[in-house]
Amino acid sequence: MDTVFTLLPKKLEEQFRKIPLSMANKVEELRIRIGRPLEVIIEGRPTFLPYLVHDEDARQLLHHISKYSLYALEEELKRGYITVSGGHRVGLAGKVVLENGEVKAIRDVSSFNIRIARQKIGTAEKLIPSLYTDEWHHTIIIGAPQTGKTTLLRDIARIISTGCEKRNILPKKVGIVDERSEIAGSVRGVPQLDFGPRVDVLDGCPKVEGMMMLIRSMSPDVLIVDEIGRPEDTAAVLEAVNAGIKLMITAHGRTLADLKKRPYMAQILDQHIFERFIELNRNDKSGWGCTILDETGNALPKIGSVKE
Amino acid sequence: MIKFIGAALIVLATTWVGYELARVLRQRPRELRQLKSALQSLESEIMYGQTPLTEAAYKLAKQLPKPLSHFFESFAVKLSGGETTVKAAWETSLKLVWKQLSLKQGEYEILVQFGETLGQHDRLSQQKQIQLAMIHLEREESDALDRQNKYEKMMQSFGFLSGVLIIILLL
Repeated sequence: MDTVFTLLPKKLEEQFRKIPLSMANKVEELRIRIGRPLEVIIEGRPTFLPYLVHDEDARQLLHHISKYSLYALEEELKRGYITVSGGHRVGLAGKVVLENGEVKAIRDVSSFNIRIARQKIGTAEKLIPSLYTDEWHHTIIIGAPQTGKTTLLRDIARIISTGCEKRNILPKKVGIVDERSEIAGSVRGVPQLDFGPRVDVLDGCPKVEGMMMLIRSMSPDVLIVDEIGRPEDTAAVLEAVNAGIKLMITAHGRTLADLKKRPYMAQILDQHIFERFIELNRNDKSGWGCTILDETGNALPKIGSVKE
Repeated sequence: MIKFIGAALIVLATTWVGYELARVLRQRPRELRQLKSALQSLESEIMYGQTPLTEAAYKLAKQLPKPLSHFFESFAVKLSGGETTVKAAWETSLKLVWKQLSLKQGEYEILVQFGETLGQHDRLSQQKQIQLAMIHLEREESDALDRQNKYEKMMQSFGFLSGVLIIILLL
């Protein structure tokens, strides 16, 4: 949390410091909106702090985040979010300026959403035996939003690049195409989260080009890509697979059956490339649960739910 | 004997004053040139490097000669300390070194105005602001050069000669 606090101007920091320490570790989002009270989301539940945010606070916050250099954030203001050190993401909303019908930047930012990045090291540990037999399997992680796809993917990347002596898994070269700076949370190209030694990240690069670029330039053993599903992704995925590289990707959906209904994903699945499917679901009581399916769609022996 | 020593002291003092005045005249265009090159580096840092201001200021502090380097250094230190605005950090740093500079009020205004725009805009408008400040500084520079040409020699001889005049009057 301290890395987040350093971002905030003094006034706001004082307010957020009032959150008791026991809760502070569970904070998921801090929301700051002009003219409205500060909001803190802890484990999915909103709490409000009795402090109305002024224009001045918002302006100062933006300056703090940009280190007083708005010009350095041009690209970020266009995309609507900024990744800051620590891997946290600051989402922005406000008045959008257009140029030739395209978004040029967000000016007059009025809402900030600071999403706290919290790496859950070890979440994927239990799944490894199912994903690795002599070599890594092509894997798709399937889950609805907020089920922890990216968290899991991140941990898988970490394990692949670190290897696992216990299970006799050698560290492999991992290439991450991080289109939305979400997997690695890079700042100036350097991943802020722990990924082990053998990771190369293409930050902010479109998936399609990024996958090919990485294959040509960094010769990865495993490629990690988030949120496959657009038409152009299909070709890139097939290309990469045929280049002899193992793929770990995520896709939106609840089950494998769901995925088969999506036209572009169906094209990929029809090739029978992917050997493992991890279906993620989140329920309030037991945290995360997941089912792993093999290439034919049959469930592998249950390894138990992965609790937070 | 004492008369001679006194006379020599007077001439020395007035000559020194003359040289000092001439130095200010010489110094001003030089400082303006340094300032311009500083702005140019800042522009390239902003346009091509997209370097945050603090870092850019540290870099400038390393490149520039003394009084100006202090200015950028204090600016960078104030910024990285947080809890300030660019405008305030820029202005207080400027005041800090102003005494050591030979620049005039006009330049002060230009710089303060420029400081207000720093870091507030996207790259293109930032570049425009820098160029605007450059144009103002150029105008000041040509004025400064003009004055240097006109008065530098004069000040030097004026110092010496006024000393001599005082002595003649006292004799």
